Amino acid sequence: MPRNTRSAFPYKLFVAVSLTTRTRYFVIASLLLLLIGVGTGLVAYYVGLPLRVFQSSVPQELRYVPADASLVAYANVHDVMSSQLRQRVRRVIPIPENGQRQFQNETGINIETDIDRIVACLGRQGSPGGAGSARGANGNNVGPQSGLVLARGRFDTVKIEALMRDHGAAVEEYKGKRVIAHPAPAPPTGEGFALAFMEPGLAAIGGTLMVRTAIDLMTGGSNVTSNAELMSQIRLLADGNAWAVGRFDDLRANAKLPEQIASQIPPITWFSLSSRIDTGIRGTLRADTRDAEAATNLRDVVRGFVALAKLQAGNKPELQAVVQSLALGGSDKTVTLSFSVPGEVFDAIGAAARPPGR
Amino acid sequence: MIPPTGPAPTRRAPALAASTLRVFDLSLGQMLWSRRSAFLGVLLGGPVFLAAALRLASMSDGLGLTTARFVFRFRSQQVAGDAVFGMMIWLLYVRFIIPILGVFYGTSLIADEVEDKTITYLFTRPMPRSAVLFGKYLAYLVCTVLLVLPSVMLVFFLVVPTGGSAIAEAFPSLVVDLGMLAVGLTAYGAVFAMVGTHLKRPLVIGLGFALGWEPAALLIPGYLKRLTVAYYLQGLVTHEMPQDSAMSILLQVVREVPTTATSLTALSVIVVVTLGLAAWAVERREYVLEQ
Repeated sequence: MPRNTRSAFPYKLFVAVSLTTRTRYFVIASLLLLLIGVGTGLVAYYVGLPLRVFQSSVPQELRYVPADASLVAYANVHDVMSSQLRQRVRRVIPIPENGQRQFQNETGINIETDIDRIVACLGRQGSPGGAGSARGANGNNVGPQSGLVLARGRFDTVKIEALMRDHGAAVEEYKGKRVIAHPAPAPPTGEGFALAFMEPGLAAIGGTLMVRTAIDLMTGGSNVTSNAELMSQIRLLADGNAWAVGRFDDLRANAKLPEQIASQIPPITWFSLSSRIDTGIRGTLRADTRDAEAATNLRDVVRGFVALAKLQAGNKPELQAVVQSLALGGSDKTVTLSFSVPGEVFDAIGAAARPPGR
Repeated sequence: MIPPTGPAPTRRAPALAASTLRVFDLSLGQMLWSRRSAFLGVLLGGPVFLAAALRLASMSDGLGLTTARFVFRFRSQQVAGDAVFGMMIWLLYVRFIIPILGVFYGTSLIADEVEDKTITYLFTRPMPRSAVLFGKYLAYLVCTVLLVLPSVMLVFFLVVPTGGSAIAEAFPSLVVDLGMLAVGLTAYGAVFAMVGTHLKRPLVIGLGFALGWEPAALLIPGYLKRLTVAYYLQGLVTHEMPQDSAMSILLQVVREVPTTATSLTALSVIVVVTLGLAAWAVERREYVLEQ
């Protein structure tokens, strides 16, 4: 048996473990690696790290979204419109293009080619520091929720402005930006809607106060990128070409559901949907619950539904691929459900929808 | 000046703890720089290599070297980085690496000395025989923990950010994983140390237990699964069990997850009992060296 260079073994009491040099170096290197890893993780967990260090790109348009948005959605319109799936759907399920053509004639925007991507959000009217700030006793915003769509693409600004003027809109200046505001009340808030070109190739369309809030954010104030909780959710979705994330409890509170129904809804805090549309649709539904127990319960419920769907799909071959792709996942307080819809499914749906004899 | 003279010091046998640490001191270097550790390096290098490949694929995408945006896909599903990490923990570490390390190192603690006919040198020292076992077990634990945990750490930092997940969000699960893997190494090492002290050809029995009995017992409904280490270890895993095969789906159906407290208690009992039995065997058994 090989011996250590020291002769003490084991005839005197242990004083200190004295490892050989290379063993000592190994132990130190290994512990150092662990310490660096744990330290980095702790810094990321408690302080947060700059986005670009560990993060794939997120849409730049998020800087115009208020920090307290309860729902944020994104779609890479160019990817979706040029996807094989889109071509296949157009082929098997012809959609009348009258509306799209009319929209192009009136606005000069061809949805197929002129819009690259959109970011949409649902937020409170008059976010902190923004136009029309309204705060309750506890300091929270109390205004109704309103929507904002930020579209990046190529726009004929003159044509769009003329069109809106023809329909009764008025142009006003707000912090150096031309806001084309339409007084017609739009649901759900009943306020008018407006459009403003935030920068070349970026249009903001939504409730008038939301558009003004977006303009406010150009000069400062906290936008959604300062909302660490929401951004951590968005970071999980950034690889999809269409996604949405929302604060479920916030949306539920605004829905004003009857108590009997509200009490039946699982205690979900965040929900999200991330999807990638190319030859088919692949996506993941994700829900974060209040605690691990709620997640386990929700997972059990979803597992039951998935099993039921698999049974039901037995006699529908066109849906079997979709149902078989359902995969339940997640850990701790997270529940995820992945799915995949192959392009062939749309062929089958198109064939089933087609009148017999055609 | 004449130094004061006193009674001559009496030489006493060192205590169990001191002897254990001496054996540990001697065994750690041997264990780390052995051929078995080369195997361990390959075993643990695999997940790191896989994670690095995924990371490189992602980086090439970030530099615009690929046309499609990089996403992890598992069976055509888009999977976030933390989910890939969870799958690697389940499939590579919990189900394979930890039991295999336990088998290879645990069974060899005493068996190697017997096979090399060097056990006599250790047993003739003036110290409790069980100190040899405990010292070697401690060396196994330090050696494997210092190799496995950094490997997991590297995999985490390579995989998690790439798939679109956030380090900050997944970090608590990493801490739990590190603890869980350390507990797993402790438990499997103790079980197979006991096997190694009681049986003459412990490796075959150990492999049969880790790769045969444990997966099979987990599939059988009822109480049989409680006679495995994996049942309690899986109770500590926070990641969702992957549905990678028919076997995994079946495992999910019959899966019964013990609470964390139950798992930790059971694993502690397993460690104490098996190490106790191993020490008892080492103290009493007469090892006959083949000539």
